Amino acid sequence: MNDIKDFLKEERNQEWRVELKKSMKAKERTGRVRGHMPEADPKTRNKNSQEVNLGLELQQAVSEAGRCLDCVNPTCIDGCPVGINIPKFIKQIEARDFNGAATTLKETNALPAVCGRVCPQEKQCEATCFYSVSLKKDPVAIGHLERFAADYERDSGNMSVPVVGKPNGIKIAIIGSGPAGLACAGDMAKSGYDVTVFEALHEFGGVLKYGIPEFRLPNEIVDVEIDIMKKMGVKFRKNYIIGKTLTFDDLREQGFKAFFVGSGAGNPSFMNIPGENYNNIFSSNEYLTRVNLMNAANNEFDTPVISGKYVAVIGGGNTAMDSVRTAKRLGAERAMIIYRRSMEEMPARVEEVKHAIEEEIEIMNLHNPVEYFADEKGRVNKMRVQKMMLGEPDSSGRRRPIPIENSEFDIEVDTVIVSVGVSPNPLIPSVLPDLKISKWGTIEVNPETMQSSVDDIFAGGDIVRGGATVILALGDGRLAAAGMHKYVSEKVKVN
Amino acid sequence: MYKILEKEIFSENVIKLVIEAPEISRSRKPGHFVIVRIDEKGERIPLTIAGADEKKGTITLIIQRVGVTTCKLTDLKPGDYIRDVAGPLGKATHIEKVGTVLCAGGGVGVAPLLPIVEGFKKVGNHIVTVIAARSKDRVILEEQMRQNSDEVIIMTDDGSYGNKGLVTHGMEEVIKREKVDMSVIIGPAVMMKFASQLTKKYNIPTVASLNTIMVDGTGMCGACRCSVDGKTRFVCVDGPEFDAHSVDFDEMLQRLGAYKEKELEAYLKYLKIRPLDE
Amino acid sequence: MADLTTKYMGLTLRNPIVIASSGLTDSFGKIAELERNGAGAIVLKSLFEEQIILEAEQNLREARKNSLIYDEFSETLDYIDVHIREKELGKYFDIIKQVKKDLTIPIIASINCVSDIGWTGFVKKIEKAGADALELNIFIMPFGFDYNCDEIEQKYYKIFRKVKQEINIPVAVKISPYFTNLGKVIMNLETEGANGVVLFNRFASPDIDIENIKVTTAEVFSNPAEINNSLRWVAILANRLKIDIAASSGVHDGKAVIKQILAGASVVQIASVLYKKGTGHITEMLKYLESWMDKKGFNYVDQFRGKLSQEKYSHLDVYERLQFMKYFSDIK
Repeated sequence: MNDIKDFLKEERNQEWRVELKKSMKAKERTGRVRGHMPEADPKTRNKNSQEVNLGLELQQAVSEAGRCLDCVNPTCIDGCPVGINIPKFIKQIEARDFNGAATTLKETNALPAVCGRVCPQEKQCEATCFYSVSLKKDPVAIGHLERFAADYERDSGNMSVPVVGKPNGIKIAIIGSGPAGLACAGDMAKSGYDVTVFEALHEFGGVLKYGIPEFRLPNEIVDVEIDIMKKMGVKFRKNYIIGKTLTFDDLREQGFKAFFVGSGAGNPSFMNIPGENYNNIFSSNEYLTRVNLMNAANNEFDTPVISGKYVAVIGGGNTAMDSVRTAKRLGAERAMIIYRRSMEEMPARVEEVKHAIEEEIEIMNLHNPVEYFADEKGRVNKMRVQKMMLGEPDSSGRRRPIPIENSEFDIEVDTVIVSVGVSPNPLIPSVLPDLKISKWGTIEVNPETMQSSVDDIFAGGDIVRGGATVILALGDGRLAAAGMHKYVSEKVKVN
Repeated sequence: MYKILEKEIFSENVIKLVIEAPEISRSRKPGHFVIVRIDEKGERIPLTIAGADEKKGTITLIIQRVGVTTCKLTDLKPGDYIRDVAGPLGKATHIEKVGTVLCAGGGVGVAPLLPIVEGFKKVGNHIVTVIAARSKDRVILEEQMRQNSDEVIIMTDDGSYGNKGLVTHGMEEVIKREKVDMSVIIGPAVMMKFASQLTKKYNIPTVASLNTIMVDGTGMCGACRCSVDGKTRFVCVDGPEFDAHSVDFDEMLQRLGAYKEKELEAYLKYLKIRPLDE
Repeated sequence: MADLTTKYMGLTLRNPIVIASSGLTDSFGKIAELERNGAGAIVLKSLFEEQIILEAEQNLREARKNSLIYDEFSETLDYIDVHIREKELGKYFDIIKQVKKDLTIPIIASINCVSDIGWTGFVKKIEKAGADALELNIFIMPFGFDYNCDEIEQKYYKIFRKVKQEINIPVAVKISPYFTNLGKVIMNLETEGANGVVLFNRFASPDIDIENIKVTTAEVFSNPAEINNSLRWVAILANRLKIDIAASSGVHDGKAVIKQILAGASVVQIASVLYKKGTGHITEMLKYLESWMDKKGFNYVDQFRGKLSQEKYSHLDVYERLQFMKYFSDIK
């Protein structure tokens, strides 16, 4: 702990940084208003898949970076799940060393272009920023700056390929090409390992590709990151379902010395209410996979999607927001969120909710579906909802929704998307009886090394957490890489 | 990229393709299926693995032309490549020695039935197989079935081959004359529904292999969900085989029709460019 | 040899002893043992909405202790009570299905409810799972002072009505005796379509520990004297109702079974005595019943059922007062 503090202090005391701090009075810095992220016009953007957040302009970014006070005790870092050296990269932006800022980010965060877009900074680094905590003002726009640096580097064509250590010939298998797998693969490659990423689907990126829509995270950005990894020597194999196509024993026979399981929490949950199996009622996974991964909204692609005029999305998280905003873009006249608690309790990012409302999404708080009805062909045409009121908080701190008697009424719908959570994909746990699994279906791991109950198998991301954020998955991947490196080194020594 | 090595036309509608997929051929067991995507713009569809040759590193798919993707797929020739083939998926057939197994295959359902028949025969069961088709030219795999069954009964709707009647007629005849310990039924959903009702009447444990719509095939999306014994199950990871008497076939039929209009529209559009040939 | 066959809500039972909803009936194994020991029917342990909430709570608490599981952005965490509810309900239906598959004893599902919300889908699934009947334990605590008598009664009817319209299997109502006009309430339920009434519900009783000066719970199990109240009401109501009556509380031996049937009950429900004496006691009670019937020359239970029920048109209060006066005048 003291090492880190000393290191940060050392960096802070570098000449360029000291000069930079002196170049503007603190009062001028704090006097600035937080930069506003340019956004696409809601009236046009809710009909297409363009990115909603357009990214800070260069001058905006430099100015915003100037707001950062380069605190002696940078509490922003405490709020970051992977401990990015936030003050350093921000000061590098202020000093117009944008590529340098990108490099700093990549020291801890494998995918800054992704995180800058999808991290809930308002609950993480920006919540612990000095501005939020002490000044009670808008925090430094850390997320927007992260995105700026990453995008700048990419657009400039100067994307640095991280230095790869001397190849040691040791084979490592990464299962799943989502954020956890990618982060682990990147770090292991940097340490000189011979890394192969196995992916069950036909595209790489996992939830970044199939789950998060284009208007939040363009797939192209994910592909750029994957290309860099390929340049680092990471091998990518699609259409491999480890446990089915090849077993772990097959891989061990092929010489793989350690495994990272990042197979995600792709198992969709339903509410099991009457009528839920009628046609045109989908899990958010199915709906988003059709649109994001299979391009179903594009007529040139063969996969169809059914997205009607009256679309109801059940749930209040980011996935629900993604689904309902996608439905709007696909032509819904009424795109509704049906969420059983209040607006304040919605787990979705505040920014997503704000954007949704601008796009004319109807958010029906304190409502819950109880039954679906269908026409003679089995297509859903009506949804019965109940009004809720909030009771005592449960141990998650959220107030428990209680149905209000006699409050039921019907809403006309032709499409329903159920977004009430996911659970860990059961495939790998089912093929490894020795793997210790929690009661929630997650793989149990040592939280410091991410090692599972099977020595050569490590895990991270949603398969361990049961449905969490991209940044946490990235952090797990990196932690696991450190754990795997230690494990393999010791194993090799013994042998 | 997965290379097509052989192609055989069984009838105007049913085509056999042998595809190079060494790893799948090694891990594959009877009952498994693959998800196939022809090209960049293609959709993912499930196809049962009708056979595999581990030595040659190949798998065999028997495909019925029912829409755009199956037509595009069966228009390919040996030497062409399929972009994505993922598998083997699903739970393998549970094979055990029970005595007499009555196997019933309807239409192209006979293709996935073959490996199951082979499996049950290998462990010493007495196999009676009923092959049902609309007419003579739609009867497939008769020779292979005869090689792996103790008896084969052929039923055609129009009587142009074998006996005239439905698969259930053929099955009931067998049930009435000998003790049947178990039944396996594969075919169009409607056929499985009635075959299941028949065996339920006689209390014969029956396994059906369901063929629902799928997208990923790995348990991630729930498109393939069905109700078994009142509980929701995913055909791609919990199945594709289930206790037939517990399956809600009506719901399955309803869900199979979800994209009917879109499929028809796309198919008609496709036919305008590529009319059915050969 | 006496024939103990009994009809209850249209179901045919091999004898009039029904095992009440309790910890004795919460698993397939236990139910199988009760069947082996001669029970006539089973009422499955009640499912409480509160129980599911508690389970969800516990899950949440455990999850929070683990630094890795879920996080505040997780939609799964947001709806975890829904997921747990479905799991618990799934287990409940599985018991019913297994009983119907492997045993022959009639099984009556049981719900404790305080409102009609959220139960509709559930009761349909109970019926689909194969339950032979449903027992509704409408659990509106009469110890609160928020409602007028009338309002409480209307709640009962409303809940019952809502459940009854969803299913076709028989529905019984288990109630407490705390009504201003109990007889009328039960008759109204009969008019609403109830197929049976269970007299009575038992609430946990308070007691006082004078040594430590605090409130405790009294003995959990019923004692034989508790039979008196239900005995009285069974006797009063049996000829005034068409629906079947199940007598509950205080039936601890064969003698009590006979008394209740003489008073007019179709069946009795037992639990406490089996906790105290083991499930083998069912056989004891049945043997007693049989030998008494043989002694008295009854071949069928129907032959003596309701022999001592009050006549339909006799005046209740006169009957009671006469007995009361008679009692006191007889004491020397």
